[in-house]
Amino acid sequence: MSEMNVRSDAVDVEQIMRQIRARIREKRGADYTEAEIQQLATVKLEKFLDPRGLRSDLVAQYRKQRVVPPAPPNYEFGETTLYETHRGPLSALRRLFRPLLKLFFNPDKITSVLHLQSEINRQAEERLRRLEEREPLSYELLHNLTLEITRLGIEVHNLKMRVESLTSRMDFDERRARSLETVVEYRQPRQNQGQGGGQRQGGQNQPQRQPAPVVPIAAAQGTGAAGATSTSSGEASSAQAATPGSGQQGQDGGQTGNGERRRRRRRRRRRPGSTLANAQGQTWAPNAAGDNGDDTGGSDAGSDADADAGADELDDTPDPSDATDQ
Amino acid sequence: MKLAVVVQRYAADLSGGAELHARYIAERLSRHAQVEVLTTCARDYVTWKNELPAGEETIRGITVRRFPVSHPRDPKRFGKLSHWVFDHPHSIADELQWLDSEGPASPALVTHLASRANDFDFVLFFSFRYYHAWHGVRAVPAKAVLVPTAERDPAIGLSIFGPIFRGVRGVMFNSPEERALITHVSDRRGPGIVVGVGSEIPERTQPWRFKKKFNIRRPFALYVGRIDENKGFPELFSHFERYATMYPHGLDLVLIGSNVMSVPKHARIRHLGFLPDEDKYDALAACDALIMPSKYESLSMVALEAWAMGKPVLANGGCDVLRGQCIRSNAGLYYDSFEEFAEALYQLEATGPLGQILGANGREFFRRHYAWPVIERKYLDMFERLSREPAPALEPLPGFFARRRRDLPPSRGIVDAAPTGAARA
Repeated sequence: MSEMNVRSDAVDVEQIMRQIRARIREKRGADYTEAEIQQLATVKLEKFLDPRGLRSDLVAQYRKQRVVPPAPPNYEFGETTLYETHRGPLSALRRLFRPLLKLFFNPDKITSVLHLQSEINRQAEERLRRLEEREPLSYELLHNLTLEITRLGIEVHNLKMRVESLTSRMDFDERRARSLETVVEYRQPRQNQGQGGGQRQGGQNQPQRQPAPVVPIAAAQGTGAAGATSTSSGEASSAQAATPGSGQQGQDGGQTGNGERRRRRRRRRRRPGSTLANAQGQTWAPNAAGDNGDDTGGSDAGSDADADAGADELDDTPDPSDATDQ
Repeated sequence: MKLAVVVQRYAADLSGGAELHARYIAERLSRHAQVEVLTTCARDYVTWKNELPAGEETIRGITVRRFPVSHPRDPKRFGKLSHWVFDHPHSIADELQWLDSEGPASPALVTHLASRANDFDFVLFFSFRYYHAWHGVRAVPAKAVLVPTAERDPAIGLSIFGPIFRGVRGVMFNSPEERALITHVSDRRGPGIVVGVGSEIPERTQPWRFKKKFNIRRPFALYVGRIDENKGFPELFSHFERYATMYPHGLDLVLIGSNVMSVPKHARIRHLGFLPDEDKYDALAACDALIMPSKYESLSMVALEAWAMGKPVLANGGCDVLRGQCIRSNAGLYYDSFEEFAEALYQLEATGPLGQILGANGREFFRRHYAWPVIERKYLDMFERLSREPAPALEPLPGFFARRRRDLPPSRGIVDAAPTGAARA
């Protein structure tokens, strides 16, 4: 499928329209005009798919028009049929001369054959009647099948349209994604940007560290204490102790991290240089040792004082000093 | 310089069409000349019923003289005569009857114009097809400048208009397509220029205010104007419903304007009714694109306004004028089928690849061709040129018997034979 390719510096509407038509032609497979398509669609729907085109009274109409002819008279042929007569003396005379007749040919054979033929006629007639009785059922079956096929045809048509719609949506999404990709600008991480830079650097300098488990926000205050207790694990962990919530931030990513970062900035603005980290002369590092999975054992040993410090960083409770600063 | 503007209706609150065009031009030219407007007492363009008082009044600094309409339009008679002259061999007398039935028949206006012809340097007639223009031009041919506002409809093929097009001093066309059509049907050779009209675009708009006021949360394509079958709405509704199925996350359709036909109930079609200009411009600023579904336009002012505000336009490709404007401006797309409609509308979405670029082209196109200084300059240059050139003689009407000879071909055939497609400027 060809892609729309438009340069912003030289837009030509006619060229765009040609591209649009080419896309449509590709999708369609043939270059029909709208009128031709409408005509084709109408023919199809009218002749084959439109259930309104079917006569719902087809069977009734058939029954109405069907004339069942009376059965043809059948001839019962017995042994004496050949010699029967309503005249008594003639009957006696025939009976008298019957042996003489049998001298010239075999009338019993004729009688037997004619009897058999009569029987065949009767059976054929019966079979024909049965077929005629079954004929309306066949019509009904045919009628129902036609209806079902029509319905299925419409369903297929609808499904085709849905597939087309989904294809268009997919195209749409793909093209949109592609156009968005072209405008996204990837920035290289900048070095030495103060605390923020330090944070990023700290993260980059410790690639071998395992990511700490995600901690629910509700438990954040408690885990702040956990971070604070990791002071025993060296320098990095002491940085963690300085900003106990930082481990939490690094783990939670965008959700809680952004809010915390904002709050922290706010506090820094209010009390420039007065964060605990600065007071201790340490750099703030998000993936400090306290975040480290190796250090989880220390979390239970957190002191209450550290826990309070962590809580202070995590929740937005105003510090009494804030009021005085303001 | 003294100018008269003659138009079928005139009021400060009439929106759209030739009337607004005439008002804008009158107001703008009044900065360079003394302008007087001659019009009728009608407000309704269907009946031409006398609704406004006859006499003189001042509207936005322009003197306006109103003259009564002698008889309102009888739609039945007008329809019958239209069918006759458009589709059957007929006579000039039939065409004159048609003109009289179309209205707005105001002999008083024509008489006044003839009596005061010497007071004006030029008389600008708006809308060639109406009574006032035909009789007015015949009353003062030496001073007549025509703004035809012609569409591709059978009326332009009537033989009575040929001498008018050929006889006026100058013609101010709205588009090259209109010029091509008029040249074809009348064989006019005299002075003429494609001008169009500017618009009163507000300096600041508040798209968010519009969205908030009407609770519009999704991106939308806009239509501004009358919602009428003649404006191509059945096709637009059908296309849009299919588009909405194909693109569930595509644009909604918002309609502004009074409706003559019913608007289908659809979750993604909103009809807001007639809105004041402030809302209209805010809507234009808020929309992703403007849709013009009409096949019959001599100049779409709202399309120009959309371009002026940096919005792309999706036009019906069946309308030569709009198609031509889209091509010349490189600021809009057009459609001849549903597939083209859907694909083009996708391209014009504000977040899509083309919307912004075409919008910017539109702004530039409007600035270059339809900014008021450009329009005013074209009019003034035309008047200057005409004042130097001698006036041509107007062809007289044929005699009594010749007027009644039914040997004129149906006008529809004449218009159908005219070349179609976008004209190159």
